[in-house]
Amino acid sequence: MQQLTRRGLLAKGWKAGGTLLGVVTAWTSWGLLRPLRASGASGKINVGSASNFQDGAAVYNGVGRFWIANAKGNLFALSQQCPHLGCRVPFCESSGRFECPCHGSIFDIGGEWIAGPSPRGMDQLAVSLDGDNVIVDTSKRLDGPSRGANRFLSDPKGPPCAGNG
Amino acid sequence: MTETPSAKVAQTELGDAERLALEPGVSPVSHGLSARVRDGEAWRSVFRHPGLDTPRGRALKSFSNVFLHIYPVKVPARVLRMRYSWRLGYIASVLFGILLGTGVYLMFFYTPTVTSAYGDMQQLRTGVGFGQLIRNVHRWSAHLMVLVVMFHLVRVFFAGSYKRPRQFNWVLGLGLLAITLGFSFTGYLLPWDQLSYWAVTVGTNLVDYIPVIGSLVRGVLIGGDQIGQPTLQRFYALHVAVLPVSLAMLLMVHIWRVRKDGFAVKRGGIGAFAEAGTGVPGEEPVVLPALMATTGSDEAEPRVRLLGVVDRESVTAEERLTDDTVFTWPHLLVRHGVVGLGTLALVLGLGIAFAAPLRGLANPNLTDERAKAPWYFVGLQELLSRFDPLVAGIFVPAGLFLILGLLPYIDRNPATEARNRKVAITVFSIMLIAAVGLTVIGALFRGPGWKFVVPWKHWYLEL
Repeated sequence: MQQLTRRGLLAKGWKAGGTLLGVVTAWTSWGLLRPLRASGASGKINVGSASNFQDGAAVYNGVGRFWIANAKGNLFALSQQCPHLGCRVPFCESSGRFECPCHGSIFDIGGEWIAGPSPRGMDQLAVSLDGDNVIVDTSKRLDGPSRGANRFLSDPKGPPCAGNG
Repeated sequence: MTETPSAKVAQTELGDAERLALEPGVSPVSHGLSARVRDGEAWRSVFRHPGLDTPRGRALKSFSNVFLHIYPVKVPARVLRMRYSWRLGYIASVLFGILLGTGVYLMFFYTPTVTSAYGDMQQLRTGVGFGQLIRNVHRWSAHLMVLVVMFHLVRVFFAGSYKRPRQFNWVLGLGLLAITLGFSFTGYLLPWDQLSYWAVTVGTNLVDYIPVIGSLVRGVLIGGDQIGQPTLQRFYALHVAVLPVSLAMLLMVHIWRVRKDGFAVKRGGIGAFAEAGTGVPGEEPVVLPALMATTGSDEAEPRVRLLGVVDRESVTAEERLTDDTVFTWPHLLVRHGVVGLGTLALVLGLGIAFAAPLRGLANPNLTDERAKAPWYFVGLQELLSRFDPLVAGIFVPAGLFLILGLLPYIDRNPATEARNRKVAITVFSIMLIAAVGLTVIGALFRGPGWKFVVPWKHWYLEL
């Protein structure tokens, strides 16, 4: 190892100090700028009795911004945000499917991908039963099922909604 | 006051007689109040140059003015030609200035909260004198600036001006492009209407496709998992503070380097110093012995004072037969003035003729069927609708920026003329055509549900 001169030590010290300052700045910035915990609508939402949700129907919850969908007896809380680019996915009554008006992704009643650019099915929020009441935990979010799951796939009930014509 | 060696400046105190003696051929300045003011101490304390219309006077004017200092005193004559650069960089700077001016006006009437932002925009439109005009000019200048910066990049590529010694200035230019896009994108959200909300929703969701860190970056950007108050506040802070300062600083370095690199003068010219500094192995710069002063030869290591480093070629290149340079003032500045005023006239005309869009209040529960990313990201969106998100969302854009950033270091071909750069020009042209094609398809040929439409029947592009 080369002999450490005073100048060499100081030069190294400057660099070490600069690096340290950079790390501290980055750490502070991260603390300040990291995503805030969603407030207001977050947490558990009671959406009422499970018997309110008919098979093949989807009910919208405006507070938590999700759909409660009954797919062959399975209850799903489906986030309204399309996994593709975040548009709100409405439920099309006539076809019985979720149809994204922005970029044409189509999902079945269980939120599984049928067609369009979405990389996966609709994202889900955790659902639990408290007695007969359905509780949706909006802070627990799961990625939607991958393409081709096709557990609830059936022919569309009727014509698709406007915009996908 | 005593006479100091630097009292040459005292020529500013000269009367007409002395001035005439110094500058033969100059007609005497008329006497009267204005002459007395201009010869007075107060005036001269501000404007030190005598302001004479002679070569020396023009040079002094540039030397003694901090704002003119960004220009060299003289520039190569070809810089004056419009076809030399199309003034694209300059026009982009002018647009930035217009955006700063109009932006400050807008700040007087705008509060970045989800409850008041949209109302402020309406109030600006209907209740503030010239409010609508200022907003229109701001918006059209912003779109134009993105466009002009892109044209500037394309122009510099085809001119081969990214080559040694300007490699790093090309990289800085890419940084300026990124900041410009950031400006436009953050500004998009501020009106808080349906167009803002869904364009930014779609735009920020593109970030999600970056593997591993994507959702984290998106979270930091929008401050949550959906667009809301934190997003508006962050975008506002970025738009009015972080980005303007970053752009101004980077632009300063960019322009300074344009000047120091000698306005694309060939090797050995004004850019000789920059070239020597950029260094190429095996091509040692010449240190002229006459410029080195040693302090005694008995010392083991003579202390050397380096006064100048010149490229070997430039020593001979110095013997230029004709002076091909002209004074910046007035030749270049007059042209810049005309182009600057033309740019201002253009955006004013656009602002008077076309209103900036303002749709309904942002509604997270009502997706706009026409939701498209801003036009400069629409090509990416089109790509994303056709290919795997990892390919379209990550590899293509990241690869593009990486290739562009490394271009001056990859492309070792020193030629600047098109016939000797066939490969580079072919590859770049294909990429350019692909980018323009995808953008045109995404912007004009896509309607609700991203279905194919023809623009002459249905128009789904809003700026």
